[in-house]
Amino acid sequence: MTKVKICGLKEEQHVKAAKRADAIGFVFAPSKRQVTIAQAAELAKHIPVDTDKIGVFVNASLQEIEDTVAGVPLTMVQLHGDEPDDLIQAIRVPVIQAFSIRTKEDVEKLKNSKADYVLVDAPGTDYRGGSGNVFDWSLLHGADIDLSRLIVAGGLNPGNVHAAIGQTTPYMVDVSSGVETDGRKDSAKIQEFIKQVKDDSMEQTIEKTGFFGKYGGQFVPETLMKAVKELEDAYEEVKEDPEFQREYHHYLSEYVGREQPLTFAQRMTEALGGPKIYLKREDLNHTGAHKVNNAIGQALLAMRMGKRKIVAETGAGQHGVATATICALFDLDCVIFMGEEDIKRQQLNVFRMKLLGARVESVTKGSATLKDAVNEALRYWVANVEDTHYLIGSALGPHPFPTMVRDFQSVIGQETKRQILDKEGRLPDAILACVGGGSNAIGMFYPFIQDKEVQLIGVEAAGEGVDTDKHAATLTKGTEGVLHGALMKLLQDDSGQVQEAHSISAGLDYPGIGPEHAHLADIGRVEYRSITDKEALAAVISMSRLEGIIPALESAHAIAEAEKQAKMMTADQILVICVSGRGDKDMATYAEKLEGLS
Amino acid sequence: MNRLEQLKSSGKKAFVAYIMAGDGGLDRLKEQVQYLQKAGVTAIEIGIPFSDPVADGPTIEAAGNRALKQGVTLQKVLEEMKSWTFQVEIPLLVMTYLNPVLKFGVERFAAECGKAGVSGVIIPDLPHEHKQLVQPYVDKENIKLIQLVTLTTTDTRLEDILREAEGFVYAVTVKGITGSRDEMSEDVKAFMRKVRGKSPVPVYAGFGISKSSHVDMLRDDVDGFIVGSAIVEAFNADKIQEIEPLIHAVTNAHSV
Ligand SMILES: Cc1ncc(COP(=O)(O)O)c(C=O)c1O
Repeated sequence: MTKVKICGLKEEQHVKAAKRADAIGFVFAPSKRQVTIAQAAELAKHIPVDTDKIGVFVNASLQEIEDTVAGVPLTMVQLHGDEPDDLIQAIRVPVIQAFSIRTKEDVEKLKNSKADYVLVDAPGTDYRGGSGNVFDWSLLHGADIDLSRLIVAGGLNPGNVHAAIGQTTPYMVDVSSGVETDGRKDSAKIQEFIKQVKDDSMEQTIEKTGFFGKYGGQFVPETLMKAVKELEDAYEEVKEDPEFQREYHHYLSEYVGREQPLTFAQRMTEALGGPKIYLKREDLNHTGAHKVNNAIGQALLAMRMGKRKIVAETGAGQHGVATATICALFDLDCVIFMGEEDIKRQQLNVFRMKLLGARVESVTKGSATLKDAVNEALRYWVANVEDTHYLIGSALGPHPFPTMVRDFQSVIGQETKRQILDKEGRLPDAILACVGGGSNAIGMFYPFIQDKEVQLIGVEAAGEGVDTDKHAATLTKGTEGVLHGALMKLLQDDSGQVQEAHSISAGLDYPGIGPEHAHLADIGRVEYRSITDKEALAAVISMSRLEGIIPALESAHAIAEAEKQAKMMTADQILVICVSGRGDKDMATYAEKLEGLS
Repeated sequence: MNRLEQLKSSGKKAFVAYIMAGDGGLDRLKEQVQYLQKAGVTAIEIGIPFSDPVADGPTIEAAGNRALKQGVTLQKVLEEMKSWTFQVEIPLLVMTYLNPVLKFGVERFAAECGKAGVSGVIIPDLPHEHKQLVQPYVDKENIKLIQLVTLTTTDTRLEDILREAEGFVYAVTVKGITGSRDEMSEDVKAFMRKVRGKSPVPVYAGFGISKSSHVDMLRDDVDGFIVGSAIVEAFNADKIQEIEPLIHAVTNAHSV
């Protein structure tokens, strides 16, 4: 299928509009479309990883080109000047060489190019690097050009691109001025152009959905692609289906006990002497944490898809318990994978799952924690994909999981927004939530993303400290990588091996982070901080004694950070903490670690 | 010409052996490759160990963990391959999960594979949808990016994948992960026939092939076989000679 390049982008909104394109071009040569390396690097944060980022140059030096390739970073280079062959060959990324075509003789020059791809354009008039004039496509006829390296540009627009592809069947089409209005890019035209190329082909269209900026995607073995695509389609359908939404909300209220209060924490507010503090009470949900919101949504979806077998992973056991609970409610077959290490520290939850009729499989591989449980659940899914739904427990995994889990958890933020407007008549100044894979946090944050005045703070587990090798602070310390089906941020070594995470809290003990969080961190919309095991334990005590609420260890990370954050805020401000779960499951840990408590 | 293209023109049933690089120490890799080459295999897939190999069963995962314990990395494997002075006469492929490649740098990966004489790469967690992340770089080195198709691949996807297939197509024989199996299901035969009918490049069956009965069952429907866990197991147990009959069952008898 012919690929699409949208060239000369300068604004974030246009980069986003070009999400389905195969390549984005940034112009570094003098032009009204010129961008700096820094501007391009900023825009590149919004481009999916598998989309090519192409830099356009005119007679630049190798040094300039290399610096730009590294700085953005770019995946290809496009040359519009009189670059010599040795420069072309010295460039390490694939190169596109542009030619202005006026006559059949010009076409001959193309064939001798040393570049990986050749781009044909109509002759420029005022400056080089693409003129926007219409190129006479018929010149290419009978010229015996390798079409798999041919890129066609020059005067393309949504109205004529179909015909251009029909005449030349190139590798890629390239457009710039054809998707502009009054010299500025036009999002509607960009989308229409891409649609014209992609949707008129007989082939299955490849959607670039499922990316948050460059993160996300569907990096799974081929065996799972069918299931992932089916899930994507099924989810698209139910998202808009009022009957499904009604059913989901019915169980949330009648079974889970929503809506949960937004409790004013009076004594904590007084003790910290700063902002008014409110607690979003996910601890009051049936099964004791936010996980059940997602489990209900996904189980209903699985049944719609005709699947009555469920596999899930669990870390703290909260998601396992929520899943086992819902499977009991709907009479679904349930297998839960759980790391051996976690089984030890969350005994009570293991027993609860068994009591609820689930089969709990112990995972002894790797670090024997959440990451390894996800691996085993994925393998189980690969082998049983026709009749089994993988009910993933956090905003992780291949698309559509991160989006779907976020949507099912967004009830947290939606209620919070309604409640705070009710109580205070305005939005909070800061909201904190703990981040393991990121589901309670994204569910809380998502309804507030557009409200720029609300500061959003995600709290990771620093374990024994972010400067030790025992932590789970993925956004603080991690780097880009692919794990469990998505490009995200990961704790990994220099050779790309995923490292073991550490946290006293099993639910935060994961070396990755949901792709949407990775993007929100990159663009600075959410700030991510970290809290050590010790600090979290201290917060368990203070919250228990001040408010009579014993929080889960995971939630205690958000509480501990809130205590720090409150010191930087004033009495007329409002702070909300997401108390993602209650501490019952952690009682053995508390008894051991807080021994001698008086 | 890329060695994989030469293979295609030879017309014989292929036997592709998978080994885990560095299982038992990286210095064993060379011996293993030389041994398999001499034993008559058609091509060798060199597996790169990864911490989270979700497409693999216990045998290969355990081999990968042994290799990781020895400090084996993608870089070290490619360095090792570059240092070889013996005559490599068969195509060598690298099979790796995507993350080590991303960390190494896709472009650098392709260039180093080129220098190491690699003919093809297989990245099981890089689906057709995202192959553009790697394709332009391997193209530059004339290295083939091998695609997988499975029993769950829908017909439209199959067409899309096969249209752009290069080198060979890796047709997965099971719904599941790698690992030896006793039985091959009947629909596998029909699936192989369908894939082969549409594929512009040879179709090799892989995952779970460990016995000559599997080979006999599928022989007429595929162009070759990929054997992994059984070989990894045999090298680990120091019984690699026991694999030779399987190699010969593929490459000798009734060759077309
Ligand atoms: C109470 C509680 N909070 C938070 C988490 C962390 O998960 P997430 O980041 O997906 O909300 C868990 C996970 O098990 C949990 O049980």
